[in-house]
Amino acid sequence: MNFGFRNFFDWFLGLFGYRKNIRLGIYGETNVGKTTLANRISLDWTGEEVGKVSEIPHETRTIQKKEKIEIKLNSKKIVLNLLDMPGLATKVDYRTFLKYGLSKKQAKIRAKEATEGIIEAIKWLSNVDAVLAVMDATQDPLTQVNITLLGNLEARKIPVILVANKIDKKKAKPNAIREAFPQYPVVEVSALKGKNMNELYEAIAKYARRGK
Amino acid sequence: MKLKLDFVSSSTLDGKPKKERINYILSKVKDGSILVMDGVMSPDEELDLIRETMRRVDDGFPGIEVCSLKKKVKGFQLFMERLSDQTAKIQQIFTRRTPDKKLKFGITLVGPAKYIKKIKKNPNSFSVLTEV
Repeated sequence: MNFGFRNFFDWFLGLFGYRKNIRLGIYGETNVGKTTLANRISLDWTGEEVGKVSEIPHETRTIQKKEKIEIKLNSKKIVLNLLDMPGLATKVDYRTFLKYGLSKKQAKIRAKEATEGIIEAIKWLSNVDAVLAVMDATQDPLTQVNITLLGNLEARKIPVILVANKIDKKKAKPNAIREAFPQYPVVEVSALKGKNMNELYEAIAKYARRGK
Repeated sequence: MKLKLDFVSSSTLDGKPKKERINYILSKVKDGSILVMDGVMSPDEELDLIRETMRRVDDGFPGIEVCSLKKKVKGFQLFMERLSDQTAKIQQIFTRRTPDKKLKFGITLVGPAKYIKKIKKNPNSFSVLTEV
């Protein structure tokens, strides 16, 4: 009920020309390139990074924010509060981190923080205006985590853009994402190389402004 | 080591409060069982299941693997499903609590991540690879 009042309040302010910043959540499974994408967006428009990138899963274990990112496209301007979320998962095994050279103690601490990060990311689903659902284009997109995430966004009427990331890799099959989720807009990018970022900004301007 | 498969009818879980339903699933899975349920949880209940799983992760229980196939309903079944959703929403407005919805038509598999190595899902089927 509180969110209903907040939406009404935002709508009321909108009548007087006030536009709130769009809280754009970057969601997805672990190691799909969420922080790389957040860094790319932030670097493109503010010159600063959002967070540290690592090949070890669950590098992002707390929500990383970058506020007031102004994106200018032709005559349009949108202001984003970017929220880079911890990767969603149904399992966190500390033994996975041992393979990356972490000690048992470090691995257990990382696993504990990762589970807390996932809970926090789920909680924040109620507080975002739009979502970039990032998927690794080299992997099978039909996972239960992706299905659950999209089902929840749909139920909450939160606009979502699917980001088929890592298209610079030979194994990338972005069309598999389109085929798996034909009802959503898909933008193919390489956040690492900065490929197709303008298409993503145009999609954000087009879909994210519709809001809840 | 032996692997236990539990097949659960929808009537076992329908009508139970959401919290109780999730407790039932996780206690079975944490004991090492793979649960095959006659029905599909709603997206928000699936999210609650993930959240509760994360709270229970420990050294011996790294989490779960889950996969569901929702039956494509049409006609009268679709009408009844939508009616049930709308009734639940109205109930939520008046009682200010999430009602205990029935499972939707379909099938769900939930199992311990330490035994289920991979689930390969297609639009109309899925296969499960286990290692005990």
